[in-house]
Amino acid sequence: MLELDRLSRRYGDVVALDDLSFTVRPGQMYGFVGTNGAGKTTAMRIVLGVLSPDSGTVRWQGRTVDRDMRREFGYMPEERGLYPKMRVFDQLVYLAQLYGVARTTARQTAGDLLDMLALGERASDRVEALSLGNQQRVQLAAALIHDPAVLVLDEPFSGLDPMGVDAMAGVLRARVDAGAAVVFSSHQLELVERLCDAVGIVRAGRMVADGTVEQLRGEAARRYRIHVDAGPGWVGELRDRLPGVTVVDGSAPDALVELAPDVDDQKALDTARALGPVRQFTPVRSTLTELFREAVTDGAGDDAGTHAGDHAEESR
Amino acid sequence: MSRALTFRAAATLVARREFGQRLRDRSFFISTAVTVGIIAVVALFPRFTDVGEDSFDVGLLGGDQALRSAVQQQADVAGVEVEFGDVADAEQARGAVTDGDLDAYVDGDSVYVERDLDDSLRAVLQNAYSQVQGSAALSEAGIDPEEVTAALNGATLGTVTLDPEAEERNTRGVVAFFGSMVLFGQLMGYSMWVAMGVVEEKSSRVVEVMLAAIPARALLAGKIVGIGLLGLVQLMVIGALGLALAGGLGMVTLTASMLTPVLLSLGWFVLGYAAYSCLSAAAAARISRQEELQNVTTPVTMLTMISYFASFLAFMSPDSPLVGVVSVLPPFSALVMPIRMARGDAAGWEVGLALGSMLLLIVLLVALAARIYEGAVLRMGAKVSWREALTPDRGTSTPAGK
Repeated sequence: MLELDRLSRRYGDVVALDDLSFTVRPGQMYGFVGTNGAGKTTAMRIVLGVLSPDSGTVRWQGRTVDRDMRREFGYMPEERGLYPKMRVFDQLVYLAQLYGVARTTARQTAGDLLDMLALGERASDRVEALSLGNQQRVQLAAALIHDPAVLVLDEPFSGLDPMGVDAMAGVLRARVDAGAAVVFSSHQLELVERLCDAVGIVRAGRMVADGTVEQLRGEAARRYRIHVDAGPGWVGELRDRLPGVTVVDGSAPDALVELAPDVDDQKALDTARALGPVRQFTPVRSTLTELFREAVTDGAGDDAGTHAGDHAEESR
Repeated sequence: MSRALTFRAAATLVARREFGQRLRDRSFFISTAVTVGIIAVVALFPRFTDVGEDSFDVGLLGGDQALRSAVQQQADVAGVEVEFGDVADAEQARGAVTDGDLDAYVDGDSVYVERDLDDSLRAVLQNAYSQVQGSAALSEAGIDPEEVTAALNGATLGTVTLDPEAEERNTRGVVAFFGSMVLFGQLMGYSMWVAMGVVEEKSSRVVEVMLAAIPARALLAGKIVGIGLLGLVQLMVIGALGLALAGGLGMVTLTASMLTPVLLSLGWFVLGYAAYSCLSAAAAARISRQEELQNVTTPVTMLTMISYFASFLAFMSPDSPLVGVVSVLPPFSALVMPIRMARGDAAGWEVGLALGSMLLLIVLLVALAARIYEGAVLRMGAKVSWREALTPDRGTSTPAGK
């Protein structure tokens, strides 16, 4: 289990991470989302040891992570992270060797990875000669070259075309199925929702929501789309008859209403039926995007002043 | 599956990459070719300027074979070259001198020139004329001209050199001076390569991936050693080609002792490079963009330039006390001392002092550069101040929560 335990980090007066904690199990894909500058990159760099936290620890399998254990970690930084003038294959072998992999094994793995990412023909090209999407694939290969048990990827999907996204997602899923713990950050929330077993939403260096998408939904208010075959005023009537009902959108014939936690949805249905024939009564599942919007806007005004994390991540 | 690399193994891997990558770089061959080309031009230059200095075209009217052979003989003694131009009469000879085809012509008891007669040519012609006239007078007096000629020719002065090695030492000094010129280029070029390599890794964020795998010091050590080895190899190639070229063109006589200045240059390159590359690496670790490179490496460049001018001074006026001081003062000694050593000017204690203080400086710089590099290399964005870089344990690769 990879545990980030109460990590804090400041850059001068700017708080980048404030008591951030989360865990990722082996065989789990964890999506790390948050607005720009929320502290995602800082957290990842701390996990990889390229940055020290002011306080807090990172543990893997119950032990505080040290340099030797980090050789089981693979890292894909947001920016290129490759030698532009080096040949793709040589680059992968070199990195593997730095992690202590024997040369023959490294060559074998590099070849396999490049084939898997459909880059076999570009093996002897210089990195700078590849398209950005292909460079990103090489970067993924670089993060996987020493067969890490923990994979930390900063924005692995940004800038990829749909084929590239599928290839990258496939490779990550295969790693997770093989028992690796994978954390990645992304702004493509539909993708995160589709791929990840668990999601953490971070705002201004703090974790504001953490769990499976289902769990996050459970915490959010329940919404229903209701259509009653009655005169135009039925929505107002419903709200008046049943306390705890809020109308989110009453303009269309089928209205969107939100039920307070203590309101039984069956009672709401009964109340609606009393108004006329009910044609539709559908629970609306919030998308991750909606959950995310709620999470990052909730009370954002409180601490915006003290957590100017945007600058921190952008400038470091 | 994998074992942790030792510091040495990690640094060796890095060094091997640096060496191999740059060896394959086209600019390496270009710079080698350019340097050898410059040496060739410098070696050939005196040949071009020689023309017209000690070589003369002379016309002899009357076709006197005795005068001609006497002139030839005198020219050989004086070490000047005389070519004979064919002229039929005074009219043609005069025209040839005016046109510049001939430097002078002799007609009877006069020598004709356009404006003035070169001193060495005057001596050659004068001596030859006296010899011919003298032997003519003697044979009229009844003495066999053959005997006279033999007697005259036998009476040349032999030369005894009191300091037989002076000239060779001088040549060694010249070779060492060229060595220092090349050394200057190497030190500038290769410490700049180190700086560029550091910034390249920083700007492309490769350094983050690298430092997740190996310690910062291993990366720095490998980079400096790998690039330095390449510089040394290039210097050897340039030294060998340069000596061969200069020998082939007759500039220097290739003897074992001519290797001394080349070997001295190689040795001092290692020391000078160690000092300058540490400075460059530390300076470059502070910035994240290639554009800022010039900014931070200017002090290093200035130091190299000063060394360069000092080596000029050492060549031109070897007895200047300033040269004595600079030749033991690191890091300037790297370019100045080889010249003094090659010429045999430097006393043993001076060499010892220069070596000792250079090594001391290197030890200090290595420690300082490693610390600054570690402190600054992961700080992206704005230029890192020296003080920030020296503040320990911020943004370094030390384990979390220790």
